[in-house]
Amino acid sequence: MRYKILTVDDSKTVRIIVKKAFKGFDCEILEASNGVEGLAVAAKEAPDVCLLDITMPVMDGVEMLTKLKSDPLLKSIPVVMLTAEGGREHVLKIAKIGVRDYIVKPFKEELLVEKVMRIVDIKPLSEANQRMKTIFDPAEILVVEDKPAIVQQIQEGLKHTPWRVHGVSTTGEAIDFCGRTIPDLVMSSLSLPEDGGFTLFRMLRTNIKTKFTPVFALVVKTETAAQQQALQVGFSAIITKPIEFSELETRIAKAMNLDTSLRYFAIEENSLIMRLPEQMSPITINEVTSYMKGKVSGAVDNGVGRSIIDISKLKTLDMPVIKLLFSYMQSCSEVSIQYVLVGNAVVIKECKGFEDTKNWTFFDSLELAKSSFSGEAAPAATAAG
Amino acid sequence: MPSAAPISDTVLRDLVNKAMSDVLITMLALNSKLVWVSDDHPGEEPPPLSQNSPLVVGAVGFIGDINGLIYLHLESEFAKLVTCKLVGLSPEDIDSEGDEVVNDAVGELTNMTVGGFKNALCDMGLPCNLTIPSILRGSNFTIEPATNALRHVYQFEADGRKMTADLLLQYNE
Repeated sequence: MRYKILTVDDSKTVRIIVKKAFKGFDCEILEASNGVEGLAVAAKEAPDVCLLDITMPVMDGVEMLTKLKSDPLLKSIPVVMLTAEGGREHVLKIAKIGVRDYIVKPFKEELLVEKVMRIVDIKPLSEANQRMKTIFDPAEILVVEDKPAIVQQIQEGLKHTPWRVHGVSTTGEAIDFCGRTIPDLVMSSLSLPEDGGFTLFRMLRTNIKTKFTPVFALVVKTETAAQQQALQVGFSAIITKPIEFSELETRIAKAMNLDTSLRYFAIEENSLIMRLPEQMSPITINEVTSYMKGKVSGAVDNGVGRSIIDISKLKTLDMPVIKLLFSYMQSCSEVSIQYVLVGNAVVIKECKGFEDTKNWTFFDSLELAKSSFSGEAAPAATAAG
Repeated sequence: MPSAAPISDTVLRDLVNKAMSDVLITMLALNSKLVWVSDDHPGEEPPPLSQNSPLVVGAVGFIGDINGLIYLHLESEFAKLVTCKLVGLSPEDIDSEGDEVVNDAVGELTNMTVGGFKNALCDMGLPCNLTIPSILRGSNFTIEPATNALRHVYQFEADGRKMTADLLLQYNE
């Protein structure tokens, strides 16, 4: 649902500031420059919140508020006063007419958004409304860890990604960093002095700009009590030390809602290629499975009628991977996509060990597999040998 | 209407200084410093903001148990910079929009400053309401207060630029 926020202010500057404040949020800003216009827009658009100034020409905010609250159709619209007219008695008098909040100018944009968020559940613009970010897009990752070796390990472990990993060692430095750059993800150690990891988490959650930033807890594998506590307070994920990097990468991508499908699927020379990596953890299998049907139907939509299943990098073949491959082959067959396999000596040998896979035939390389579609090449090996 | 007791020069200075600095730090992230006060220079006019640049002056009044008006003087170039910061537009965008955007921004800054000042007066037992902002543009402004009005002038420095707040105050008889 897209919420409507009505700003009634004779100052165009204030209306621009309001629009600027809500720019990154999924809501529509309606404008009126005096009380008469404000009532007309309110009646026509039924806004979810009204931000109302007091001193305006034609009809001032107090008169508009009084009329709004005496109209059965409009009285339920929550009103937040946004005005330079303060003073205790003034505020009390207006509050009695019925307002949800009162902001005295000058005001911070963050405060305005926060007050409106208490009334309606506006969310930052979803990734769906923007271009969905992929694993090939840069991102800023903040690691808060007082042990430089761990920061270094993370930087090293993620250096093949386009993500920039920034290391800081204290909560204060982390807050300073967030003031300058809004990170896409934060990883905080739970062993910082004086429960610094938990303090930082609370501070990030109360700041409007980092309220929705994923925060991972970094904790030693055996410290189960700290892990439990981190889950209870709402950390997005627990990363145990020693860190398993392929899992960390997958979790980061998921938390940042990145499109990781390009890691496994691509369309090349009119063929849909599915590439499986060296290791297939349960998380990776789930990830590939979640993209599979969409990629196959997308290929059909784009007139692609063939597919290459490339498992030449796979180090070992087990039942979950075989199930995944069967499921993919079935999806292809259902929409008449012709498919071939590319393998390596190990997986070809392992295929021989399973009744269902012993007759699979493989090409040695992607190039040979591609040329097979034009009848120029035949599979080099069958699992049955 | 009961006559309002005069407020001391020091209190007025503190109120104007606080109102000005609150607006500049909150809306523009600018620290300000009070650099010249007419109470310390009887009979003198404040140093001119500029020799050549025209000025943009916002004016907002307050009416009630105490009446008054504050003129906020800014050099036109500074007014443009302030507008850019306030609304998040580039100087080129501001130029293409024309003077109206700058006028409106200066009007709103004056409104917030006078609002902060007069809200403090309200809390001191002098209820009053704001008027709608108006804008003057030009050079060589001289404010001549009415015979029964008091005038206090305050000059501030922010971001290496100066701006002047000219306060006219009239207590009810």
